Amino acid sequence: MTEIISESDVLTDFAVREHRSLWLDAWRRLISNRTAMLGLVVVTIFILSAVGAHFFWTYDAKTDLDYSSKLLAPTLRVSEGSTEAHWFGTDKLGRDIFRRVVHGGWNSLRVGLVAVAISLAVGGLLGLLAGFFESTELNKWESAGFMALVAGGLGALPAWIARQNLQIVLFALLGVVSVLRPAWFTGKKWLRTAAFAGLGLLIGGLSGLWVAPAVGLVCAVTGLAIGLVTAKPLNGKLFSDIVMRVMDVILSFPSYLLAIAIVAFLGPGLEKGMIAIGVVGIPIYARLARSAVLSVTQKEYILAAQSVGEAHGRILFRHIVPNILSPIIVQATMGLANAILSAAALGFLGLGAIPPEPEWGAMLGDSYKYLSSGAWWAVLYPGLAIMFSVLGFNLLGDGLRDALDPKMRV
Amino acid sequence: MGRYILRRLISVIPTLIGVTLVIFMFQRLIPGDPAVAMLGEHASTENVARIREQLGLDKPPFLNRDALAEGDLAGFFDSQYVRYFGRLLQFDLGESIHRRIPIAETLKERFPATVELALLAMAISLLIGIPVGILSASRRNSVLDSTTMIGSLIGVSVPIFWLGIMEIMLFAVLLKWLPSGSRLSTGIVIEPITNLLLLDSLLTGNWAGFWDAFKHIIMPAVSLATIPTAIITRMTRSSMLDVLQEDYIRTASAKGLSEKVVLFRHALKNAFLPVITIIGIQAGSLLAGAVLTETIFSWPGIGKWVYDSILGRDYPIVQGVTLLIAVIFLVVNLLVDLSYGVLDPRISYD
Repeated sequence: MTEIISESDVLTDFAVREHRSLWLDAWRRLISNRTAMLGLVVVTIFILSAVGAHFFWTYDAKTDLDYSSKLLAPTLRVSEGSTEAHWFGTDKLGRDIFRRVVHGGWNSLRVGLVAVAISLAVGGLLGLLAGFFESTELNKWESAGFMALVAGGLGALPAWIARQNLQIVLFALLGVVSVLRPAWFTGKKWLRTAAFAGLGLLIGGLSGLWVAPAVGLVCAVTGLAIGLVTAKPLNGKLFSDIVMRVMDVILSFPSYLLAIAIVAFLGPGLEKGMIAIGVVGIPIYARLARSAVLSVTQKEYILAAQSVGEAHGRILFRHIVPNILSPIIVQATMGLANAILSAAALGFLGLGAIPPEPEWGAMLGDSYKYLSSGAWWAVLYPGLAIMFSVLGFNLLGDGLRDALDPKMRV
Repeated sequence: MGRYILRRLISVIPTLIGVTLVIFMFQRLIPGDPAVAMLGEHASTENVARIREQLGLDKPPFLNRDALAEGDLAGFFDSQYVRYFGRLLQFDLGESIHRRIPIAETLKERFPATVELALLAMAISLLIGIPVGILSASRRNSVLDSTTMIGSLIGVSVPIFWLGIMEIMLFAVLLKWLPSGSRLSTGIVIEPITNLLLLDSLLTGNWAGFWDAFKHIIMPAVSLATIPTAIITRMTRSSMLDVLQEDYIRTASAKGLSEKVVLFRHALKNAFLPVITIIGIQAGSLLAGAVLTETIFSWPGIGKWVYDSILGRDYPIVQGVTLLIAVIFLVVNLLVDLSYGVLDPRISYD
């Protein structure tokens, strides 16, 4: 008897797979992929050298200047009168290019991380909310808040015209009322519409008349329009539409041009470049997050969570976010590559890092005028540094896409 | 179909208005007064005020609430944005601050340069990207395939301005085979017909001109083509791989059709839809002006123009060209959407 039980134990043991988490699974697939490993190695070298140089290899860009060793060709030997070998040569100010390339990595890493963080935080959150509210009914309080925002936001126009901020509050209240008291005149639809239009007309018109007759007229007309909008409580689809339309507008500008324009507005500098690149990336994450959410919200486990009455915030962050993480991780990895490339482009155009700050793009822009004098090393190495770090993140992102693809899970 | 086109056209309008708003606000937000920029730092206050009035800068940006409070209903809409929008409706892009030349006029010279460069770059990337993508999909995991994949990843990772510099160093500085900037050598004249130099010189039978224009355009076109080539190759490959797993491909092969027929007649047709989308996006961004490539090769197109104008704070040019670029983007997107219906009869628009 005991023997039989133990035998069946062995059998179940054999049938049940060793417990592995989702992430461990993905990790194993990642390290079994040769190109992804190559990417991981390149990225690791890049990060370690950048961080190591920043903290352990002192470099002061402002005092680094030595005209006596200007534009020296790369060599592995220590030349006379110098304390170190210039492996990558020196630039027009006699600065060691190897040292500057390694230190430039820190700046590129910073730009990449901050820019991706900006796009991911803003775009990801917008896309998440847009996707969720597009596919899920708003509850009463969410609708009330949303309608207060819509009506109050629209009410800002007549309020601005008449210089009466009170109107914003009144219109926001009208929006709240339209949600919390949906039973008003429900018997006759047109009656409800007329009632809200009339209320809007009164709010705008009366407070506008206070200022001047013409102002009263304009405010009454806008108030009427706002009343018509509030009469029929809007759903989350509108929110999603507005967000995605704004994203469309951002996307209809070429990314480099938009980044250049933002930097022109903010002024040059590495930090401004980070913001510009981050803003330009927002729509990508918003679209990605929205479509990922839309594909998840009709799954059984979300419907189940909804039917047992879980709060929306909990559904969103406990059930939806973990399930849309993989495409976002892949995009963020590729986004790092893109941000490094864009930062280099801005630096090259003289709009990124301010010299003498070591930044790969700025180093290229600085040195390419000396090309005709044959100083190829001054442009070759910063360019290679950009290329390899970008390539590393792209390889890694590619590998992550394969590793995280749920379709491949057994 | 007709109704769908109309609906898509109408849906573009809010985006376009949003674009004009952004462009308009950009000019308002940038530090510095356009009137001062026009007259120079030392202009008298009266002159600045006069120019401000001429440009309508004394008006409020969006709506004139002061006029309304005084009972002037029509004056309510007399604002900078409304004036700007009104001028746009008459296709008036304004004039350059520094050179006082209408922007539309310079655009007529500059835009063909960008179009020519973009078309050649697109042609290069299609001629390389699609065949290589098909081949590497059909020989999956071969040496050719992995070389293609790594090559295309390098293609999207290489900074194109650096690639351009390297080309100049090799072909212009070291080998002295190719010129490193502008569209034509001095002294060469090509009779303008379309302002696309390669086409014009062919039409007029001007072989010396054609050769010279070709030598000037080839380096910028190759560096501009790098990224689209890499992207189109990857897209063609992955799309073909999806299709090659379908049952009808196995059936076609089992019937004994040659590999060529299966690949090009059965697979390619069905794999082309995602490729078209990518081509559209790439074409849009190429036409939008390659700021970096044009700057490095001193190519007199709209990308370099808008970059120079941002640096020179000539904002009417920036506004005008940016608007044109945004419109091109929207039109290309629309064309891509419409081409789906032509390429795939299963897609209906209702």
